[in-house]
This record gives sequence, structure tokens and C-alpha cells, in this order.
Amino acid sequence: MRSAINTMLVIAGLICTLTLSAQDQTVEFPQGKLRIRKAFEVIEAQSGLSVAYNEDLLDVNKKVTPPKSETVSCAMEILLHGTGMEAIFQGKLILVVLSEKAQKESLFAKNEKGIYVNMLEEAVVVGYGTMQKKDITSAISTYRPLEKGERQVGCPDALLQGRVAGVNVTASSGTPGSRNRVSIRGIGSLTAGNEPLYVVDGIPLSNTSADAGEWGGETLSPLADINPADIESIQILKDAASAAIYGSRGTNGVILITTKKGYKGAPKVTADASTSISYIPNLKKLAVADADLYLQVQNEAIDNYNRQTGSSVSHLSNPFPDRAQFNWTDVVFRTAFTWNGNLSVSGGSQRNRYYISANARQNQGTVIGSRLDKYGVKATVTSDIRDWLSVGMNLTASHTYSDRVPDGNMGTSILTHALEHRPWDTPYHPDGSYTIKDVDLLHYNLIQAINEQDVYNRNFRMFGSAYLSVTPIKGLKFKTSIGGDFMYAEDHIYYTAKHMYGNSVGLLTDARKAYTSVVIDNILSYGCSSTRGFAMDIMLGHSFQKDASSTASQTGQGFPSSDFDVNSVAAEYTDVTSGMSSWALQSFMFRTTLKYQNRYLLTLTARADGSSKFARENRYGFFPSASAGWVVSKEPFWTAHRTEFKLRTSYGLTGNQGGIGAYAYQALANGGYNYLNENGIALMTQGNRDLRWEKASQYDIGADLSFWSGALTVSADLFQKDTKDLLYNKPTSAVSGFTYRTSNIGSMRNRGLELTIGSELSGYGILWKGDFNISFIKNRLTSLLDDNDIVTTDDYHALKVDEEVGSFYMIRMLGIYQDDSQVPETLYKQGVRAGDVIYEDVNGDGEIDTVNDSQFVGSANPVFSGGLNNSISWKGFDLSLFLTFSYGNKIYQTWTGGLRLGNGEWPAQRSEALARWTGPGTSRSVPRAIYGMSWNSTKFKSTRFLHDASYLRCRNLSLGYTIPPDKSRMAGMTSIRVYVAADNLFLISPYRYIDPEVNTSLNATKMGLDCMWTPQPRSFTFGVTVKF
Amino acid sequence: MKKIMLTPILICLPLLCCCDRNLDQYPHNGISSELICEEDAQLLLTGVYNIAQYKPTFNGWALFDLIGGDIIRTGASGMNTPELLVTMGITPNQSIVASPWNGFYAGLYQINVFIEKIGQLPQSQKKDEMLAAGHFFRGLYYYNITARWRNIPIVTSTIDTDVPQTQEEEAWIFVAEEFKEAIRLGSDFQDKNHVSHQAAKALLARTYLAMGMMKEAAQVAEEVIADGNFALSDFNSIFRGGYNREEIFSFANLVQESSVNMSSYYYTKQSPVGGAYNFCPTQEAMDMYGPDDSRKSVSVDYQGSNPVLNKYCSGDAGHDPLYIVRLAEMYLISAEGQGYPEGLGRLNELRVHRGLSPAAPASEEEFLDAVLDERRLELFGEGFRWFDLVRTGRYEKTVGVDSRYTVLPIPARELTLNKRLKQHPLWDAASDNKN
Repeated sequence: MRSAINTMLVIAGLICTLTLSAQDQTVEFPQGKLRIRKAFEVIEAQSGLSVAYNEDLLDVNKKVTPPKSETVSCAMEILLHGTGMEAIFQGKLILVVLSEKAQKESLFAKNEKGIYVNMLEEAVVVGYGTMQKKDITSAISTYRPLEKGERQVGCPDALLQGRVAGVNVTASSGTPGSRNRVSIRGIGSLTAGNEPLYVVDGIPLSNTSADAGEWGGETLSPLADINPADIESIQILKDAASAAIYGSRGTNGVILITTKKGYKGAPKVTADASTSISYIPNLKKLAVADADLYLQVQNEAIDNYNRQTGSSVSHLSNPFPDRAQFNWTDVVFRTAFTWNGNLSVSGGSQRNRYYISANARQNQGTVIGSRLDKYGVKATVTSDIRDWLSVGMNLTASHTYSDRVPDGNMGTSILTHALEHRPWDTPYHPDGSYTIKDVDLLHYNLIQAINEQDVYNRNFRMFGSAYLSVTPIKGLKFKTSIGGDFMYAEDHIYYTAKHMYGNSVGLLTDARKAYTSVVIDNILSYGCSSTRGFAMDIMLGHSFQKDASSTASQTGQGFPSSDFDVNSVAAEYTDVTSGMSSWALQSFMFRTTLKYQNRYLLTLTARADGSSKFARENRYGFFPSASAGWVVSKEPFWTAHRTEFKLRTSYGLTGNQGGIGAYAYQALANGGYNYLNENGIALMTQGNRDLRWEKASQYDIGADLSFWSGALTVSADLFQKDTKDLLYNKPTSAVSGFTYRTSNIGSMRNRGLELTIGSELSGYGILWKGDFNISFIKNRLTSLLDDNDIVTTDDYHALKVDEEVGSFYMIRMLGIYQDDSQVPETLYKQGVRAGDVIYEDVNGDGEIDTVNDSQFVGSANPVFSGGLNNSISWKGFDLSLFLTFSYGNKIYQTWTGGLRLGNGEWPAQRSEALARWTGPGTSRSVPRAIYGMSWNSTKFKSTRFLHDASYLRCRNLSLGYTIPPDKSRMAGMTSIRVYVAADNLFLISPYRYIDPEVNTSLNATKMGLDCMWTPQPRSFTFGVTVKF
Repeated sequence: MKKIMLTPILICLPLLCCCDRNLDQYPHNGISSELICEEDAQLLLTGVYNIAQYKPTFNGWALFDLIGGDIIRTGASGMNTPELLVTMGITPNQSIVASPWNGFYAGLYQINVFIEKIGQLPQSQKKDEMLAAGHFFRGLYYYNITARWRNIPIVTSTIDTDVPQTQEEEAWIFVAEEFKEAIRLGSDFQDKNHVSHQAAKALLARTYLAMGMMKEAAQVAEEVIADGNFALSDFNSIFRGGYNREEIFSFANLVQESSVNMSSYYYTKQSPVGGAYNFCPTQEAMDMYGPDDSRKSVSVDYQGSNPVLNKYCSGDAGHDPLYIVRLAEMYLISAEGQGYPEGLGRLNELRVHRGLSPAAPASEEEFLDAVLDERRLELFGEGFRWFDLVRTGRYEKTVGVDSRYTVLPIPARELTLNKRLKQHPLWDAASDNKN
């Protein structure tokens, strides 16, 4: 087996042979430093053995100090120390191969000329090609999923959280399969088109959600169909120079996912199985007041009201004093189990290589009734038919099934409805029937909502590509490929007659969506080099993509019983819709890389994109870029040993069209506006032929430093990104007939600093590796309409020049009136008294109103965020601790049910009830209880509900043990590893609710709202990985 | 040699898909609005009916009841008295204020487009009838907007929508002119779900009442009463989908064609057809019908122990029509317009028809009380109460709230986006400061 791996790795390259005798014989070296190549020659000359090595893997020009006199085997060990290579003696041959340690510890292998060099590591996937890492002049980050200690995630974007500087990943919720918000270098756009472009093995992945969109809750992530275990590496194109090759789609950055491939050698099998338990931590933070405290607050509120208005509202009392308080959250949340299994086989012959894998995952949600099952297979086959002709194909097929529960701001949302009950409310009557809203309960009966619904999504996905590549003459390559992404999704939303939304007769919405995306690429590339150290690569390409979707949905009602759940038996159809839409993109690409003496590097790219989303006259956009690099440490004047230094700089243009509708420029008369079953049409969209590409220009300056042959690496980037012609659904006065119009409305600037530090130390058999990254990003709107405008994007946010996008705009709470005499007369007249919230009267007119008194009060963007990973391995043990952090971002809690304190019969959050104002000096942050007045709670969006959402999270802690190779070999395995891991082990945050990170809005202008989505669970995983 | 042969063939491949024509993509559910032609006129007309019925939303059609003092909010909202519902519900930020504003103006865009497009057609009777529908809807919409916000921008074109506010008096005159145009061009009554000159006349009577032109109101109302197409009918036949001669114009409001479900807001889950039960009548409203009143059971009911407004009976399971104008209102307008004692006849005709004894008010004041009480009983839940109280100056006293609630504030969002708009003086924070 091992020889197979070795043979596999000793591919191409120079093989030198000489002959002599045995490996134990002594060789003698001349004094002083020698190049490795020279040292090998000494060995070969004296021992008669021949040393075979691959120059791509081993820097034979590296100078070493050989021993004076030593046996061949010891000498080889000394010479190869620190290179990640080892010597294997086979007859008269000494094979210098990648050491097993270095192969497996890809964790410890990264820098371009450093110690552990690996062919795979060297190649960096860039758009429409690969480049050597040492030649990269733009800001590209690479993340390779760890072989040991990686998070167990269902979705690949979660792998990136906290791992890469400049990439901010926030989980939308703890619901299995939900989308993450991924932003690269801050906010790219004002519209929903803020997500990076994902390209999997060259195929742009459609960003349409994995469901048919009929369910009002969270949408499902389209990335969940990729099995994280199949991922070889993830490249993040951060600056314009790297992303400009994706032109109109590159503004938000590009994430290139490269999946695993097979290599020449005997079949390698990897199997992994793990099981997790997870639960929602810290639920007690949301505890509601018991009956005594609740009544105390409510009646105090009524007393306060009666006293100040002279009314005589009567007290509230407990109608069921003997009833034990029902704990809704205990019933609704559970400890959930997840099981995950992966199996992959890879290998290949001289000309054919393959990788096949299968994955199954069954993921229970922490809310009863929620689950996500996923099954996927993948195959990659490549074949070199001739030396000049190769073909390949790559296909992923997957199926997910998810049972969904109402979440967040849906009418029957889980978390809020687990809390919004009076202490004596229970889900059932004594006869077993459900208690119902407004009759027995304040709000929806959550148990009823979950039991009486059958809501699931089924998703079938297939994506992949096939290519044919020809090399007619040396250096010239032509590659044609066709790729596709096909999705079929089915939403089934069934409410029985007993469900609150079942219209008393049963209601079924059956929705289907078919999405196809086809892309045809043709790439011509040519590379050459001169003997004088000049090298050039050129790429020319054409790409055509067409996406089309069709949807169909019927809603029927009236079912004989809950056993019937297809619309063919429905008594009537209340809604039948179907839709079709499509868009197309044609692109021309160009890239050239010029290199002189490996020291001076220049890359130029250009792309022209034409999109069907724009009127003909504005259809094409041109996106050029240039980047340059200088490897300072290769200059003759550079004297620092084992230290490398490279400077990079880049400038480029990228575009964006993601957030606008397929036909946004067209003024349309739409059908479907029928009356009395006669056809009617209406003019529903105004259109805007002036719509044009949103364009961003970006500068980047970066430096890569490596000390002590890579023991410490530092990489820093400064960038400035200016986006103009921002596309936005500009709010317009409703008097115009429309409340918004898609327009190019302004420009903004993102500035940032990214810093990545990596280090590794070894000694006493211990290997330590630390990775730290941090990014500071500052966003600012630089122009907006006529520059004085404040554009409110929702009830909580607004846009204004010089403010950050995602800024909260609301009324500021200053404190609590401690005495009636402090209340201004105008407010006193409205019933404001001591104990009520003091709001800042910005315009000083004595009134508090949203139009005149709102102000900017912080934003949902962090000042800085990042991650810290530490791994230690010793003998067979590996321990890894991964922390993520975010500082300076704010979050608004939209759920105020527990904080109304007597305004309505809402239950009170226990902590809030206890902290309420009851007299002068009792509280400066929590108001009094008051009946019949919304002043303190729902009347205004105010900073009372805006919180600091900074956090430090222990994202992952894992401990693994690899059974010694000799023992695993006895079991017929090459490697056996067992591991335990804890995800989300602890969270340090000032946020009063559970999860400061939940954020379902993908829209940058509406971020940072906690609608009480299901928080991220805490999970403990146990698993085994075997290889043979 | 083979590779030399193959390469040019492959390099030609991109040319196959390299075509700009592929970048022209058009939708499947619409056509370019420039392509609309004469044959599409009927389609546009149908579209206007559809838009006109649903754009104002439930809040738009029901608001005069919701804040009329006879309805309260259910559940834990804390708006469980008419006073709290009004003071907490009517603010520049609430959707109860904003959604009708947005809805009425969105509908007006369609109506204006329609009038513009139809106006370009050659003269014909069909064209007149279509224009009549356009002016009828425009009158209906501006009636609703003026009654709520008073000084309002009157937009009559799709090209120039940036217009200043019109004073209330002028706005009412505009509304009346729209109905007069609809009367002039309109066809004779065909069915209750389509616009007729009678329907326009009925709304003109209502507009005159709002303008305080009592004599004219009575006169026009009498013309409608005298029309042979209509007669007072049984409440059951009106509000339970039977044949009746009382409805002059109602929107059909079919489930597939409209999103306004009145009944769901009023019915409880305990009804056989379900309901969300957001609003319910006050106890006083429940008790206002006498035992002999034939309107009682159709107007209010109890589901379990919960009081409900009973005029819309489909619950969650279906939709009810939106009653825009029916004959009984003409009797009441005529009575009010003629005044005491001339109007007593029409008032009592209606009362007797509803199973009540004739009223015998002794003074003009008592007579107006009697008419308003009758309007309250007759038209409960049909969108009248608030404006009846406001136009007769009784709102503040009846509901017990500040005078600012006799007009709706212009939504905050509009004030931010439209610099031409000025908040009504009653809602202008600056004017409060002066007090």
C-alpha cells in the first residue's frame, strides 16, 4: 500500500541513476554547506546507489550542512530534515518521496518554497485555470478542510467560518440546512445579491434556494448538496484582480470549491462515521415569569394606568390557581441526534483516474418535528486518451429531505410561541382537545401547530461537467467543457383541519420548482518560457450561460380527513400558479501572466459580459484588472536567511447583477389580473431601461512574509473597494403608484485590513500549529441620490451618505424618567410618567416621532472579526481548539413580547420583570409596568432593544487519537482514527438572548435582526475514520 | 496529424453558442406595455376591476369600522377598548394607516393607466362604458383617500405623479366630478358586480353628503331609489349570497382573484369555517340591535362565548363580496339630506322594512341622532362608522379620543420620501408645540 502511494507521488521529474552497493556503508562529505543536489551526487558517487527525486517536490538547490561522515541512511535523514521528504531504499535505488507525515499533515504544509511542499498545495485554482502559488499576485486565500479536527457541518460554507481573513460567515439559524450569510470583504451590494459566486470544479453554482419558496420560513441553502468531505480545497478570490475574471459576477467575491480527485495508484478507501447529539444551550435566559410575578406585573400596570387616567380597569387574576405551569420550551426543544457517514474510493492507472464517494446524513433538528436527511453520490473520472488529448467528467447527485417547522417571524414561529403564553396556559383541554388562540390562549398553540402540520421539502440536485482538452503543440491547450446545475424541488405544506391555518377543512400547498443552469466554456491557453528567465501564460476564453426556472404551485382545501394529502382529492382549489423565467449571460475572457526570473510578476485580466437582465443599450460591461508581484527575497540584495518576502498589488473592476430580476428593465403588462373568471391584464412594472451594471473598483496591497523556512508566516492585505451605480429597489412615494423602483442609486466604499498569521513548532515529538486571522472592514456610503437623503430600508435601518450600510436608524433611549417632573409637558399630556423610557428628542420639538427623532445608532457590521485555531499533536493524539470572534456589531431583538410589562397580556420575561422600575432609583434601563400604553415597548423602534452582539465562540474543540500504524495494519487498515468533538462549546457575549449570530436576512441593508430564530445548537460528536 | 485535424474543429465550437440573440429574454406572464392594442382594452378593464378590489387591502376597506368605536382588537395586543385601539393603532408608522395609503395610490396608477390607454381609442359606446368604469373607480378611490387624509395629492396621470397636495374642498369637488363623468358615460345597470351609471349616482349622493351638500345628496339618492332596478331586500339574501335587488355595486372578490378576506379577521376558529379573529364588536355593539330587528342575527353573533361581526360568513374557507354601495344607504342619505321632518319618511320606510317600529324624533337634533343610529345598525361592518361620526362632529365625544383622530396621519414613510407632502395640521408635531 505504502509503495503504491510512493509510486504515485514519484511522478514526472528528473530521475538520476547511478550504481554502487549497500545503504549502511559510510559516506564522507566535504566541509561546509552544500546544495542538496550536490550532496546527493556525493552519496551516489560514494555508495553506488542512485537517488531518485522529483524537483517539483524537493528544492535540491537548498543549502544544507551535511555530516562529516555518516551511513547512507543517516546521511539521507539529515539531508532531508525539514523538507517533508523521506528516503526509501529499494534495491539500488533511493527514492526520495513525500514523507507520510507530510502527506497526511496537510495541516502543516503550505508555503511556496518552505518545508513541506506538496504538488497539490502548490497549485492554486484561479478562475478558468490554475496557477502556482508562488506566481499569485492577487488576494486569493486558500482553505483546505482539515483532515483532523474539522467541524462536522452539513454545508460547506460553514467550513469557512472564522478560517479566512476577510470572509465573514454568519449562521442564519440553528435549523438544519438553513442558509449562512457569507460576505467577502464587507458589503458588496445593497440588494439581496450580496452573496459570493460559488464555482464548484468550474461550474458556477446557482444561488437559488433549494426549495420552491412556498414556505414562509427560512429558505434552504443551495450549498447543502455539496458534501464537505468531498472538498479538496476552497479558494476565495477576494480582490478585484482575482475576481475580475468572473466579471459581472465577481463583485461579492468568488468562492472556488475544488473537489477531490483520484491519483495514480492502488485504490484508497476512506470511511468515516460519526454521530452527534445537539441541544439548544442557555434556554433559561428566556425564562418567563411565573404566575405570581406575572400577576404582580400586570396588576401593577393596571394600577399605574388607573391612577394616572382615573380609570377603573379591574385586576387580572389566575383563573386556574391549581394548575401547574406548563413548560412549553421543554416540550418543543429536544436533544437531537445526527448521524453522518462518508465513504470514498479513489485511485487510478497510468492514464485513468477516478474518485467516487457516497454520503448519508440524517440530521434531527433541536425542535421537535424538524429534520434533514441527505444522501449524495459523486464521481470524478479523468482519462488521458493520448498524450495530447484528455477527457474528464465530474458529477454530483444528491437528494435531501427536510421536515420543516415554522421559525423566526412566521405566524406560528417556534421560539416566540413557546414563550407567549400566560403562566396558566396549557396546550390541551382536559378532554384532550387543543386550546386555541384568543379563546383559551393569547397566541397560537404551538403544539397544535407542529402536530397538525406536515411540511416537508424534497430536493433533487445534480451538477457537474464534462470536458475535453487538446494539446496540439507544446504549451498550447484548448479545453472545451459543458457544465450543468439541475435542481428539482418540491414543497409540501399540509395543514390538517385542526391546524390554525387549515381553514377548518384542511389546506395543502403543493409547489414544485425546476431550475436548470447550463454553461459552456471554451478556453484556449498558451504558456512559454525563455531561457533568460522570462515566462508567459495567456488564456483566452468564451463562456455562455443560461439559467431557466419554472415553478408550479397549487393550493387546495377541503380534505376528507388528514390521511388525504394530495390535491386531487381537495374539494376546491384556492390558488393555482405557475411561472417561468430565464436569463442568459455571454462572456469573453482574457488573462495573461508575465514572469521574469520568478521575481517580477504581472497578471492582466479582462472580461466582457453581456446580460439579458439589461436593456440592449446597457447590456455589455467590461471588467479589466491588473496585478503585480515582486518577490523581494529573490533579489540579490536580500540576505536574510530562511526568510521570504513578497509584495503584491492589484487593481480591477468587477460587476454585479445578482439582486435584480430577470426582466427588471422591461415595462410589462402582466396577466392573471382576472375578475369574475374573465382574463385581465395590468401594468405592474414600470421598468427602467437605464438600469446598468453595478461596478466596483478595488485596490489591494498585500505582503507575504515567511520566517524560519515557514515556521512563522504572515500575510497582510489592505484594500479599498468602491462600488458605484448601486442597484437598489429605491423606495418611492406611494403616490407614484409604486412603493419602489429598481434603480442605480448611489455608491459606497469598503476599506479593510486583513491579517493572517500562521505558525508551527515541533519538538519533543509534539507538533503545534497556530492559525490566526483577523479582518477590519469599514463600510461607508459615499453617495446616495441627491446626497442629503435618508433612505429607510425597513423599520430599523436606513441609508445615508457617510453612514455604514446596515446601520440602524431609530430612536435612542436615554434612560428612565425617575420623577414626573422630568417629563416634558407635551409628553406628560400623552401619559408619559416617571418610570417610562426617556427618548432623545433630536429636533427638540417636545414630541417624539420616528420621522424627526430617528438617528443612526450603530450597525450590524462588526468592527473586526476572525478566528483562532490551535492544533497540537503528540504521538497519535491530536487536539484542536477553534475560536471565532466578532466585535462591534449590533443586533436588534424584534421580539418584544416578553418586555411589554403590562401593555397587553403578554407574559413577561422573568429577568425583565424583576428589573422593572418601581420607584425613583430602582432602574435606569427597564421601564415601569404600564397598562394600555405602548410608549415603552412597541410604539417606537428604539435602542432599548438594540444590543451589542460581539461574541467569542468556541466554535470547535476536538480530540482525536490515531491508532499506531503497526496496530492498524494488523486490523488490515492503513489508518484508524477515533475522535470526539464539541461544536459551539461556549459563547461569551453581552447579548441578552441566546444567539447573537442568528441573522436570516441575506440583504445587507436589513441585517442584524433577531426574530427569535432557532439558535445554533451545541453539539457533541463521536466518530471513527478508517483508511485502507 | 489527428490532433492537427481535431483542434480547429474544437475551436470552432464556441461560435455555435456565441450569439447575442440569446441575450434577449422575455417573460412568459406578461407583454411589453408598449404592445397593448385596441383588442387588449377589455383585458385592461377586467384588470382594473381586479386591482381596484384588492389593492386597498382589508385595512383599506374595513378601517372606518375598526376605528369607529364599535370594534376592538382581540388577543393580547392590549387594544381591547375602542380608545386604545385608536390611540395605539393610529400612528404615522402603523400599517393600518400605511397599507391603505399605498394600496389606494397603487390602484390609482392602474386606473390612470387605464383611462389614458382607453382615451386613445376611437370613439364608441364601448369606450364610454369603459371610461365610466375608470372614472367610477377613480372617484371611489379619491373618496376614500380624501375622507381619511383630507389634503391629498390628486394624481390623474401616470407621467407626472409629483403633484402638490390639494385642499380638502377641492378634493371633494374632484371626487364629485369623477362620479358625474361616470354617470354621463356609464351604461345602465346590468349586474351588481359591474359599474353602472346608477352606481356612480349612488356614490355621488354619498359624496354630496360628505361635502355637506344635503339637498343635492337627497336629490341624487332619490333618483337612485326611484330606479326600477333596485328594492330593499332581506339581509339574509344580501349577506348570505342570495338573489337580492339591494346591492348597487359590490366587488365579487373571488378567492382566486383577490387577497382581501374580510371574514377571517372577524370570525373565530370555533366557527365551522375557521377564522383568525383579529377584531370583534364591543359589547355595546353586540347589544345595539333590538330583538325585532331583522338585521340582528346577520350582523352580530356569538361563536362560543366570543362576539363576532357576522356580515361576512366565509371564515378562512372562502371570500365574501366587498359591499361598496347598496340601496338602504340611499334611503338614509335621502333622509339625512332632506332633514327634519321631510326625511323622516325615508328613515321610517327603512326601519319598518327591517322589522322595527317607526321612529318619532321630536327635533332636528333627535332626527339626526336617529338617522346616525340607523346608519350604525344598518351599515355596521361595511366601512361607514368612523366617517359618519367625523363628518357630523361626533367622533371625539363618542369614542373619547383626541381631535387628531378625526383625520389619519400621512404615513411617516411618505413624508420622508415625498418632500411635497405636509402632515395634516392635527398631526403636525410642530403645531402641538404651539399649543
